[in-house]
Amino acid sequence: MIEVNPQDYDIVLKIKDESDIAVSRQMAKNFAQKMNFSLADVTKIATAVSELARNIYRYAKEGYIYIREKEAGPEKAITIEILACDEGPGIENVELAVSGGYTTSERSLGLGLAGIRRLMDSFHIESEVGKGTAVIVEKRRHAY
Amino acid sequence: MKEAIIYNLKELVEDLAASDDLKREWEDFLVNLADAFSSEDKDERIKELFKNLLDFADADALIRGIELLNSRIGGFPFIEMLKFAVEALDGIRKEKETRLRELNDILAELATPIIRIWQDILLVPLIGTLDSHRAQNMAEKLLERTASTRAKIVIVDVTGVPMIDTIVGGFLIEMFNAIKLLGSDVILTGIKPEIAHTLVKLGVDFNMVIIKRDLESALKYAIGIAPDKSDRKHGRKRGDGDEE
Repeated sequence: MIEVNPQDYDIVLKIKDESDIAVSRQMAKNFAQKMNFSLADVTKIATAVSELARNIYRYAKEGYIYIREKEAGPEKAITIEILACDEGPGIENVELAVSGGYTTSERSLGLGLAGIRRLMDSFHIESEVGKGTAVIVEKRRHAY
Repeated sequence: MKEAIIYNLKELVEDLAASDDLKREWEDFLVNLADAFSSEDKDERIKELFKNLLDFADADALIRGIELLNSRIGGFPFIEMLKFAVEALDGIRKEKETRLRELNDILAELATPIIRIWQDILLVPLIGTLDSHRAQNMAEKLLERTASTRAKIVIVDVTGVPMIDTIVGGFLIEMFNAIKLLGSDVILTGIKPEIAHTLVKLGVDFNMVIIKRDLESALKYAIGIAPDKSDRKHGRKRGDGDEE
């Protein structure tokens, strides 16, 4: 699994309650706004964080979301990186979960992970049954 | 102890704070502290003093202050003072928690209104974040109301919803389908451009409902497709012709 050093990140959010989902979304939104993302991208980032937080709350009960600003690629594009990790049950078939339309929960569309992948520029997931799940997503800021 | 503070008061205050406002606060604190030492309900009073002090000084300033007092005044009860400071902080934290709980309750009270805006037409303006509890509550209320008023059309306005993720989307879809099962039509309005883009990316599809740009066109459309009997009679009497 991914080793995380909380000090490397600008924001560390603990997800434990349902209300933490709204808080994390708000924090992510403010952070993205400060980074000068466009309104559409801010909404996408906030939505992705909301989905990630929701997944943690729903399946793992507890976990963390880390957010930081960094420069990515050879052109040093300003990028927001979001890491969501938990020590929950893990995902049995990662490919299936990411493909969309698959869910183990009754009240869910099963679109979350697939949706996050489409909302963001890069998407990386690691999961091990019984150990937990880590998702890293990034969004680059487009030059105006 | 008391004398040590009073004698050195000016000097101490000078070192404790930079701005005049802060100096005044520290001076008040020290004078009251010196006074409190000899009083009967010393513990309570000192705790209260620390609480007041923390209103304008942060934890850093407080620690620096106490350390300074410790080095300047012989026999300063350092550990005891820190204990009071921690207790005061705990008290503040508890107050904040209570306040947060109250705010949450207030938020929950801001339940979604269901407005009968026209004959056979209900309007539901959704505002703020929908968590599962609130969503459940709202769906139940709305279905109940739709059935009891025999509304033909339910207009759901999401102008006040900052973000729709798959959960909120899924909940809305569930609610729309349930309303349709009651034999009513749903009109969805108020989706902002950035949310529209996000919804398409997420693959959330509201194809079971009619979508209108804004409340105005939704209302126009709804009144158009639900011409109610009393209005029609009225119209004929006035000789306005058949509205259909």
